[in-house]
Amino acid sequence: MSAVTSPAAGRPSLASRAAVRHGRAPLVAWLALLLALMGIGAAAFVYQFSTGLIVTGMRNTVMWGQYILFFMFFVGLSAGGLIVASAGRLFGVKAFKPITRLAVLEATVAVILAATFILPDLGRPERILNIVLNPNPTSPMIWDITIVMVYLAMSAFYVWLYARADLARRGSWLALGTGTSPRTMAREERVKSAMAWIALPAAVMLHTITAWIFGLQISRGFWYTSIMAPMFIASALVSGLGLVILIALVLRRLGRVHFQNDLVAMLGGLLAVFIAVEAFLLMAEYLTALYPGAPEAAAAGRMLSGPYMPLFIAEVVGGLALPFLLLAIRPLRRDPRWVGVAAAIAIVGIFVHRLNLILNGLSYPNIELPPGLPVGVAQAGPSFLQSHWYVPTIVEWAIVVGVLAFGALLFTIAAWYLPMQEPDAH
Amino acid sequence: MADPKVSPVEALSPASRAWGEIGPRSDKPHWGMVVDQERCIGCWSCAIICKSENDVPLGMWWNRILTEGDGLDQPEDVRGVGLEMAWLPLACQHCENAPCVKVCPVGATYHRSDGLVMQDTDRCIGCRYCMIACPYGVRNFNWGVPSRPTPHETGMVQARPLGTVEKCTMCVQRLAEDQVPSCVWSCPAGARIFGDLNDAGGRVATLIREREGYELLEEAGTKPSVRYLPPRRRTPL
Ligand code: SF4
Ligand code: SF4
Repeated sequence: MSAVTSPAAGRPSLASRAAVRHGRAPLVAWLALLLALMGIGAAAFVYQFSTGLIVTGMRNTVMWGQYILFFMFFVGLSAGGLIVASAGRLFGVKAFKPITRLAVLEATVAVILAATFILPDLGRPERILNIVLNPNPTSPMIWDITIVMVYLAMSAFYVWLYARADLARRGSWLALGTGTSPRTMAREERVKSAMAWIALPAAVMLHTITAWIFGLQISRGFWYTSIMAPMFIASALVSGLGLVILIALVLRRLGRVHFQNDLVAMLGGLLAVFIAVEAFLLMAEYLTALYPGAPEAAAAGRMLSGPYMPLFIAEVVGGLALPFLLLAIRPLRRDPRWVGVAAAIAIVGIFVHRLNLILNGLSYPNIELPPGLPVGVAQAGPSFLQSHWYVPTIVEWAIVVGVLAFGALLFTIAAWYLPMQEPDAH
Repeated sequence: MADPKVSPVEALSPASRAWGEIGPRSDKPHWGMVVDQERCIGCWSCAIICKSENDVPLGMWWNRILTEGDGLDQPEDVRGVGLEMAWLPLACQHCENAPCVKVCPVGATYHRSDGLVMQDTDRCIGCRYCMIACPYGVRNFNWGVPSRPTPHETGMVQARPLGTVEKCTMCVQRLAEDQVPSCVWSCPAGARIFGDLNDAGGRVATLIREREGYELLEEAGTKPSVRYLPPRRRTPL
């Protein structure tokens, strides 16, 4: 924390220049805002903890909602960011070097947030240790929590690895006694390469297993498809790379990283490819579900013509076609602002895609016969529902915003304190 | 969970008690139930006594009666047959290959050696993954502090706490007293038969064989311990 308030010591000159240019007031205001939002989120969580999940929009009819949605969204952001970073190193894409560090940091913060989002989703968060005490090896949730923890440790180490030399140069205790002798540096390079080999499959596994939480459930026709895991990877790549692009542009603005517009165009092109892959998998999935015209296709059909049609259009037209077009047009791709816009739209598109998975996957029970499912709470309205239009409540939003603020705070502090760019890259 | 607070059968008359006795079984029973759709009159008696026996809070139902067709208690217009009416009483199927047991991260839902699927609400972390996994939608979550019509706990079992999942237990508290589940005991139409699926010559196994008892959502491969006997009536109402 002290580093935030005294940014001068040993900082690369470009950072202090930025600090001078922008002054410290905006940073302080930003951090204060984040802390305030976190406070609101914490209060909402305490309220939910004492009252029960009745304060959410979830019911027996739609038993998973916003928290799980953000959980999988952030797992995707994390996996996507790390895949881009480690693949760049693995395949020797030198051009990616300026953004490697921020991608690794983004991946780390995102997976921390994902893990955090599990907590408010539990009815008994205080019993979370049961997961460690009595793990059930057949539960995909146990597989996922295991990989999240392994991945979190790994990406934290990755962040440290990239920052280590600079920390050592600055004489920080965070360097953990390592130095910057040529031998250490050579070893560091080897460890970095080795880490890329571990990080890439780990990131792929992270999101694959998260997909399996959903995709292995025969009870949910909309989820029970082997394309779930590949589609989750594609979504992760789109949203993860999109966020890396946005963060890179913002940090360049703030003078924390330096790269040419060529890199933005290149990343934009890559993003377009990822979007195309996502669209391809989506098409394969829907066609396979719909073609036989069997009742099993009901869930997919609901997306095309039912109450969720606007969301489907938002996902396909807004989330896939629009950013793809923006990125496919060469002059736009050469303009970082348009790439940024496309990246932002693509991220929202992936979010809507995941929203659709949750909503359409859950809101209609398997046995749709009347009167339907018991709602689960005593209420003035109907006790049974055959379908459920889930809307998150203000409490759910407050908790989500609080967790997001926590992530922004982590990222801001880390990005402020740690050098964001390798010294030799510019 | 499901520790009996009092003996549920002590209060019964000898005749009621005799009516509820489980009867013959094999050496290693696998408890199961047959629901005869031919006999069910859709009266919800079993659903109500279930709420009372198990102290099921307001807004939750461990056992409910679905109507085949589009409308609650409305006859279905079956093409070529005319109007038909049938009910589908639905509670936990106590699946042998139970998706809920597979996915529970902490093993809070588990199998007993007699085939019943139990729920340990002291261990449950309230993640609701079991509700996602259950194809039949028979699980209930305690979204809020459970509310009941009276401040007195009327059930024969412990109430379940906030933030945990609960569901039909086949009235384990009654099985311990050699009594059939409440729903079976109370059905005025005799549409529910309880017994040992392993007992090949027993009533349950015989009915399933002779009446072509079917599994609900057989395609999900859950191997339920509850079987349904299809309605035979094919004459217009
Ligand atoms: S019916 Fe549902 S709750 Fe009951 S055992 Fe089967 S999967 Fe589990
Ligand atoms: S809600 Fe409880 S019983 Fe159901 S899967 Fe989670 S921990 Fe297991």
